[in-house]
Amino acid sequence: MTMNHCNDPCAATLIPQARKEGITTVWDRHKAMQPQCGFGQLGVCCRICWKGPCRIDPFGDGPQQGVCGATADTIVARNVIRMMASGAAAHSEHGRHVALALLGIAEGKLPDYTIRDEGKLRSIAAKLGLDSTREDILAVARDVALTTLGDFQNQDHDTPCAWIASTLTGKRLEKLAALHVLPHNIDAVVTGIMARTNVGCDADPVNLILGGVKGALADFDGMCLATEISDVLFGSPSPVVTAANLGVLKEDAVNIAVHGHNPLLSDVVCDVALLMGDEARRAGAKGGINIVGVCCTGNEVMVRHGIPLAANYLSQELALITGAVDAMVVDVQCIMPSISEIGACFHTEIITTMDDTKIPGATHVNFREATAAENARQIVTLAIEAYKRRNPQRVIIPDVKQTAMVGFGTEAVVGALATLNAEDPLKPLVDNIANGNIRGIALFAGCNNPKVEQDSSFVTIARKLARNNVLLLATGCGAGAFAKHGMMTQEATLEHAGDSLKAVLTAIGTSAGVGGPLPLVLHMGSCVDNSRAVEVAVALANKLGVDLDSLPLVASAPEAMSEKAVAIGTWSVALGIPTHLGTMPQVTGSPVVTKLVTETAKELLDGYFIVELDPDRAADRLLDVIDERRKALGI
Amino acid sequence: MKKKQRENAIVFSDPEKCLGCHSCELSCAVAHSGSDLHTAALQGLTLRSRTSVVAAAGVTMPVQCRQCEDAPCAFACPTGSIRQEDGMVVIREKSCVGCKVCVMVCPFGAISVKPEADTAPEGRTNRGVARKCDLCAHTGRELPACMEGCPTKAISLIDLDELRRSLVEARVAELAQSHRYLTQRKVKP
Repeated sequence: MTMNHCNDPCAATLIPQARKEGITTVWDRHKAMQPQCGFGQLGVCCRICWKGPCRIDPFGDGPQQGVCGATADTIVARNVIRMMASGAAAHSEHGRHVALALLGIAEGKLPDYTIRDEGKLRSIAAKLGLDSTREDILAVARDVALTTLGDFQNQDHDTPCAWIASTLTGKRLEKLAALHVLPHNIDAVVTGIMARTNVGCDADPVNLILGGVKGALADFDGMCLATEISDVLFGSPSPVVTAANLGVLKEDAVNIAVHGHNPLLSDVVCDVALLMGDEARRAGAKGGINIVGVCCTGNEVMVRHGIPLAANYLSQELALITGAVDAMVVDVQCIMPSISEIGACFHTEIITTMDDTKIPGATHVNFREATAAENARQIVTLAIEAYKRRNPQRVIIPDVKQTAMVGFGTEAVVGALATLNAEDPLKPLVDNIANGNIRGIALFAGCNNPKVEQDSSFVTIARKLARNNVLLLATGCGAGAFAKHGMMTQEATLEHAGDSLKAVLTAIGTSAGVGGPLPLVLHMGSCVDNSRAVEVAVALANKLGVDLDSLPLVASAPEAMSEKAVAIGTWSVALGIPTHLGTMPQVTGSPVVTKLVTETAKELLDGYFIVELDPDRAADRLLDVIDERRKALGI
Repeated sequence: MKKKQRENAIVFSDPEKCLGCHSCELSCAVAHSGSDLHTAALQGLTLRSRTSVVAAAGVTMPVQCRQCEDAPCAFACPTGSIRQEDGMVVIREKSCVGCKVCVMVCPFGAISVKPEADTAPEGRTNRGVARKCDLCAHTGRELPACMEGCPTKAISLIDLDELRRSLVEARVAELAQSHRYLTQRKVKP
């Protein structure tokens, strides 16, 4: 069973090895957890007060109301919007962290950081309606930081957050404002969800879900600001060729895996590691220091600096089972607590770095932006020390890696298009969509989930869409899946793209100087970078003079798992994008909520969820939606 | 040749392990529905569990038909619809008229006579027939659904012959020790 649940070729070597060593992995734990609670799966278990837990019997004579009188509809709605609040909190906390760092730089308090993309900072200032022409770039940085932090502070309910207001189309903003779901303050909206779901408050499932939508849009705001300011601090992604999967680990180097989501730490670790190669060599590592990425921290440094990606979410443990990782440095989100136990089976130093993310058994290095380089040196030193304890006999690095051409942020995409038409870069894209060479655009996002064979649904759906000339974008662990499976290569374009898509990708790629077609799937960044895809879509919509819901654009999260994915999926729907889920959302215990998110949402928001667990059928349904939208556009 | 006599197998619930989560009820209801959890919930099907979790005297455990060897329900049934068959007490739903005598005589409260589907009473019938645990005999599974659905493994299917054998073997193993000691000491009765 375990093997069937992982489509990663590395697993064939490493899972038997784990068995032999008596190490359990996520697939073992998933199996041991079966069967999973039916009430939980349906979302009808309420634990928000101590009169409970209450469960609603979905079928028969059992209770139809909780002790307080809440129905299945109320309970399901409350549970799912609390997930949205948590997702919004996670992304936005990451965003706040980055925004505070920008303020720190502007105030001269953070010597270890600089503004690496001044042009981007100025364009953000212009977008936010600030003076982008001031000579003192630090003054611009300060303005942008303070306006951004205003999105966490504004108390005027009628003034929407600055980032979302400056990012979406006018029509979309009007629609969202009319539904009262435009967030005015990220923190307040998250707090609002917690307040309205408190015992004895909002019981109306529709009102609750709309509250959740507002939270999800706050999540979008937090993602926009996190992504864009990270580009200012660490550089905007541009196409770079690197590699993915565990074969990127090196036997003769100190291997440091950076894992989590926030680039504030990992970027400095990359810089410091460059300076400490000699120390590693003195410790016997001929290859110096080899930084590899895991999860979205991996994606952040991959798209910006071409750091190879070792693993996406479900393979994080496999990285450790190679016995070749000397330190796994983690920041926040999607870090399995199991890694400290597995690290302890080897010489691997598991290093936590954030005050709010500690793991029993791990070494904690108290990371502060003010002392970032010093902290990074501590971390790299710990890794070199661990390397000295590495047992070469226990090292098994699977000879599996794929080339990956990554780094397609908005600027990179527009930049590539500009090589075809400098005056009107979007025109070639619009023309090719209009003439059908590009049938539509699909954004793959979201997690891995052991309920699905790892990565396989991503690959299946993407191949089918590509064959049907759909342009593919990816972020997060979806992007990791495609990188690992060789779908971010020019060869993949030649092999899997339909003829007209192949021609378009070849024309753009050749003109942009990548020596052939663009890769089959364009890697836009980490999961927080989903806002990049929206930026491209908004530019397209504005050019066509339509709203986002008119575009032949779909999103898919075939292995959604995290609360962040619940928030992302929901804002995607709120922006008018039909959004596929390949795992069953925990809402089916409420017919009202299920209908609301899969059907009624289409009337309210134009977007809606498409739940389809079979990847082949999911691809067909996405193609149908694309065609429906093309027809409505008259193309 | 004489047929070997066996007791009916029973579902056994361990109150020490039961957390009262009702998962067994959900699994039972879905197993007898011919549908899956999410579809059944979305379609709003009325499904009834044949096991029910009960809290009394400080313990919680699911209760279901004990497949009695001398079942009062079988004796009481006026239409002869309840019989010993295939190692369990079987209700022939076709000939059941829903008179509820079996419900009254069952000491375990394990039988219900409610309609399964959402059928509105149409004037002449409520469509209720007697139903109880059938050990998942016709659901195409090897083990009862309640047992598979229990997260703490509090539920097991007991074959009485096997249970007895394991008890006897365990006691013999202990007695063997004593016999060796008696032999050493040359003690004879």
